Amino acid sequence: MGETVREAVLHCENITQRFSGLVAVSDVSMDVYTNEIVGVIGPNGAGKTTLFNDITGIYKPTEGKVFFGGEDITGMACHKITAKGMTRTFQNIRLFNNMMAIDNVLVGLHTATKSGIAESMLHLGRHRREEKESLARAEEVLKLTDLYDYRYHYADSLPYGLQRRLEIARALACHPKLILLDEPAAGMNEQETTDLLQFIRKLKSMGNTIILIEHDMRLVMNLCDRIYVLDHGTRIAEGTPDEVRKNPQVITAYLGEEV
Amino acid sequence: MLKKIINGWAKHQVAVTLVFLAFLILYPVLFHSYYLRNVAIQCLIYSLLSLALNLIMGYTGIVVLGMAAFYGIGAYALALLTTKLGISFLPAVALAVVITFCFGVLLALPTLRIQGNYLAIVTLGFCEIIRIVELNWVSLTNGPFGIKQIPAPDIFGIKSIFGLKLSKPEGKYYVVLILLVITVVILHNVLNSRSGRAWKSIKGDPIAARAMGINVFRYKVFAFAICAAIAGLAGAYYAAYTGYVDSTTFNYNQSILILSMTIMGGLGSIPGSIIGAIFFVILPEVLRWLGTFCGEWIVEWRQIIYGLILVIMIMFKSDGILGGFDLRQIHLYNKLVKEKEAEEKQNG
Repeated sequence: MGETVREAVLHCENITQRFSGLVAVSDVSMDVYTNEIVGVIGPNGAGKTTLFNDITGIYKPTEGKVFFGGEDITGMACHKITAKGMTRTFQNIRLFNNMMAIDNVLVGLHTATKSGIAESMLHLGRHRREEKESLARAEEVLKLTDLYDYRYHYADSLPYGLQRRLEIARALACHPKLILLDEPAAGMNEQETTDLLQFIRKLKSMGNTIILIEHDMRLVMNLCDRIYVLDHGTRIAEGTPDEVRKNPQVITAYLGEEV
Repeated sequence: MLKKIINGWAKHQVAVTLVFLAFLILYPVLFHSYYLRNVAIQCLIYSLLSLALNLIMGYTGIVVLGMAAFYGIGAYALALLTTKLGISFLPAVALAVVITFCFGVLLALPTLRIQGNYLAIVTLGFCEIIRIVELNWVSLTNGPFGIKQIPAPDIFGIKSIFGLKLSKPEGKYYVVLILLVITVVILHNVLNSRSGRAWKSIKGDPIAARAMGINVFRYKVFAFAICAAIAGLAGAYYAAYTGYVDSTTFNYNQSILILSMTIMGGLGSIPGSIIGAIFFVILPEVLRWLGTFCGEWIVEWRQIIYGLILVIMIMFKSDGILGGFDLRQIHLYNKLVKEKEAEEKQNG
């Protein structure tokens, strides 16, 4: 990555999240740089999703700070953080099942548009222009994710693998600065996982920055530039896939005896 | 079956629209009886109310059991504005809409933090509070005697256009028809926009909606307020239409009737709301008419027949007759057909 000092897109400083007595995340720091794929791994209950929720503003961290693009976003409302260019997918798919695929992607463009309720009611200029632009962008994203043929299908009528991809498409629509993928390969078969791997590579080549929570080691080891390992809420290792693979602490905590 | 309706409608879009509009416009010409014209006006008023509820329940996913409150506020607002302040019909309607909008915001701000069934009960309570205020604030609302002699609709003092008297049922019919058409157009626009999609996404998954950058609370408040404003519009018209309002009209039963219309017609569907309203206004009239043939028993059994229809409906098609059917689907269907044709032309 050269000698130049790069500014972190995301900088987490000593994040701790407590739920009354339970410490879900404890003193975790991490940095994510532009056009990087960073993996967050750890056994079940290690606090990965909680960390995601702290970063995206669904929870407010009990202690610590989150900086996004140099700006302190700790405790900011979730929708405001999204508007700053951070989008995510969910571990258990959260699509809008009452809407068509294309509308799901259009919701993803909410922060990219501005027209208000009154403008839409009266069908005014800005609303019409934005609708046209949004529609074009949504179709572009659907083509990119190979979902174009399904654009008028309701989200819940899509097969599982496509639902996962639609969720990524929705997160991708507004040209986010950072995408957080929460177990994108969960429940996928070999073939689907391979497709997903290539797809995420494609996203990186297009200049996206991605944080990935994943259990599928093949995917993580093949994709990530750097990996953070969590166990019982604490960070036990950080480094390239090779470093992490060899780290004895990681091996005992998570990967088992033999990798 | 829904697919067949969409396909049929889409294929003959122009013809269907023309026939439908022609029927609506020519209705008073076709039917001269005072009774039938008033039934039609009732249908249109309830269409407005059912649409209002559908916006918040069918699209945003918030159950509201107190629609009669906003209906009543709109009616009393117009009654007071016209009788006490002497404001003419159109500005009074506009003011009544603004007033109910504000009431909607006022109710929404503290209560929308509550979720689901609890919120539904709060709105029910609000409905009762409003009814009791209407009944007991005698100096303002004239209490149980109601407000009489509310002037009929006019347009800035003009009482008839092209020989059409606005104080007669045929005139009043056109007034409410225009109000309904404007409401439908506005709702259709907004529901297929950024804001409409935000509402639908809140119904689909509030957490994902937040993660997509939607200010869920703000959109809920707006849905609530616009719902209230449309119900207020219906109320304002109702006051001018009957010329008399009292609190007994805006009770709990009214709220449940509107709820039944919305659910029966179809959640998340504009045509559904209108069909639901027509169905529930016409049903008792049809039963009464049937009573003249097969005896009075059918009228007495009316409530039970209502209940049966609702139960059967919920068992077999729980999202209503036209649940989820949107006018936009017709547009999309035609677009897809055109694309397919173009593709076939290219290939062969």
